Amino acid sequence: MDKEFAARRRRDLIIAAVLAAIAAATPLFVKDVVVQNILILTLMYAGLSQSWNILSGYCGQISLGHALYFGLGAYTTELLFTKFGVLPWFGMLAGGVVSALIAMGLGYPFFRLRGHYFVIATIVIAEIGLLLFHNWEWAGAAMGITIPIRGDSWLKFQFLRTKLPYFYFALVLCCLAWFVTWWLENSKWGFWWRAVKDNPDAAESLGVDVFNSKMGAAAVSAFLVAVGGSFYAQFVSYIDPESVMGFQFSLLMALPAVLGGIGTLWGPVLGAAILIPLTELTRFKFGGSGRGVDLIVYGTLIVLISLALPRGLLSLFSRPKKTGAAR
Amino acid sequence: MTALLETRGVWQRFGGLVANSDVSISVGRGEIVGLIGPNGAGKSTLFNLIAGVLPPTQGSILFDGEDVTHMPAAARCQRGVGRTFQVVKSFETMTVIDNVIVGALVRNTVMREARRKAHEVLEFTGLAARADVLASDLVPAEKRRLEVARALATEPKLLLLDEVLTGLTPTEAQTGVALVRKVRDAGITVLMVEHVMEIVMPLVDRAIVLDLGKVLVEGKPAEVVRDPKVIKAYLGDRHAVGA
Repeated sequence: MDKEFAARRRRDLIIAAVLAAIAAATPLFVKDVVVQNILILTLMYAGLSQSWNILSGYCGQISLGHALYFGLGAYTTELLFTKFGVLPWFGMLAGGVVSALIAMGLGYPFFRLRGHYFVIATIVIAEIGLLLFHNWEWAGAAMGITIPIRGDSWLKFQFLRTKLPYFYFALVLCCLAWFVTWWLENSKWGFWWRAVKDNPDAAESLGVDVFNSKMGAAAVSAFLVAVGGSFYAQFVSYIDPESVMGFQFSLLMALPAVLGGIGTLWGPVLGAAILIPLTELTRFKFGGSGRGVDLIVYGTLIVLISLALPRGLLSLFSRPKKTGAAR
Repeated sequence: MTALLETRGVWQRFGGLVANSDVSISVGRGEIVGLIGPNGAGKSTLFNLIAGVLPPTQGSILFDGEDVTHMPAAARCQRGVGRTFQVVKSFETMTVIDNVIVGALVRNTVMREARRKAHEVLEFTGLAARADVLASDLVPAEKRRLEVARALATEPKLLLLDEVLTGLTPTEAQTGVALVRKVRDAGITVLMVEHVMEIVMPLVDRAIVLDLGKVLVEGKPAEVVRDPKVIKAYLGDRHAVGA
């Protein structure tokens, strides 16, 4: 039985490596900039959703305010860069640390809330963050920050003539979030998180530190999402409060995981691989005329999938009960 | 030798309701003690005070010579108090083995060790064949067993069983009784809340009867069942006269 378990872990790792290798090779065949753009966003949201999944899927603390950490990552990086000349690579780390600390600071009062009350609190806090940045003159207020273009450079992580570096960074981010999840899944933290999600009282009686489990999940989750935010800021080279901290980011982090299979290792990747191209394609095909046809098509598809497979797309692949854990 | 568990003058009030008044009991090492009493006697409240769900309004609780009155449940688990829940609280989306691993992680920090320990406990509790099944797919009797397995994985000195034998078929209950004996033989002290008298009485070394929040009678099961006060508490005055 232990062998079977170890084999499954190894199989996941091999599948991930193969998928990453295939993804890494796609730019050799895909030269179209529009398609490359979609691929970059898909990888980025897969990574973000995977990170969101740590707190909300594994630990069961549903957050609809992760846009806050995304925005904090973006703002920390760009404020450090434009005001103090700190390279984005360091800004990225700083953004991650700032977000993780804020996530824990917010967790302190909010992790006492359960269920819907917690969800509402996360939405409200993210909206407050958005308002604060809207009114913070030093950080550009509603005008935002334009990142000065100084030519293609790995050091400053900005590229005008090619999207490939962004593509590879998004791939690394996605792989990193996946690997962190894979690694934590079979650790004390992973077990604690799932126990806390399923039944906090029982978890407590088995010696689980429920509060600190949530804090740990929040910190890891916020850190990774902030790194994604930093990346996005560099990628679009202009940020304002709405474009990095808007509610749509919170949704776009949650949806792939929910669609693919919440609290599972592969759910977020699968969900993002379907959802993000769909978002972009419907916008491309039907959008632009202000009629909102793209949103209607997109919304209908999501409703259909959730009606047919309420436990996520991944449930299509899960074998009969014998093997247990849905993955 | 000092008692493993001792409560000293424990009171618990919920607003105007007194659930436990001046309860002093002790449980010796290696004993199986039954905590019985009619509905509303305060058994569950006392049980929760001992498990650390909430601190008592007044009085103190000593475990293994240490004052644990205000210690939270998780810390008590680390000291060696394991418990089950009357209404089963399995981790429903996790497999049976994963449920037990959560408990095993208290004393095993290396995953491989925790997993080995969990398998060992499943073997001991007769759930080994169900290791890879989701907890939500277990039948009720198996869920009870999983509660016990999970608590045993924490390697407790004292195991608190909250009505684990209630609501089972006679055959299932007998298997349960055998398991409790096996647990004691492994050197673990057992305190069990139960109200099915005919199952508990042959099993326990000592019975403590609670009524209206107070300790009514305490002693050997055979004496306790014949005590007029106990008969009165369970069946009313009319029957007590005849006894």
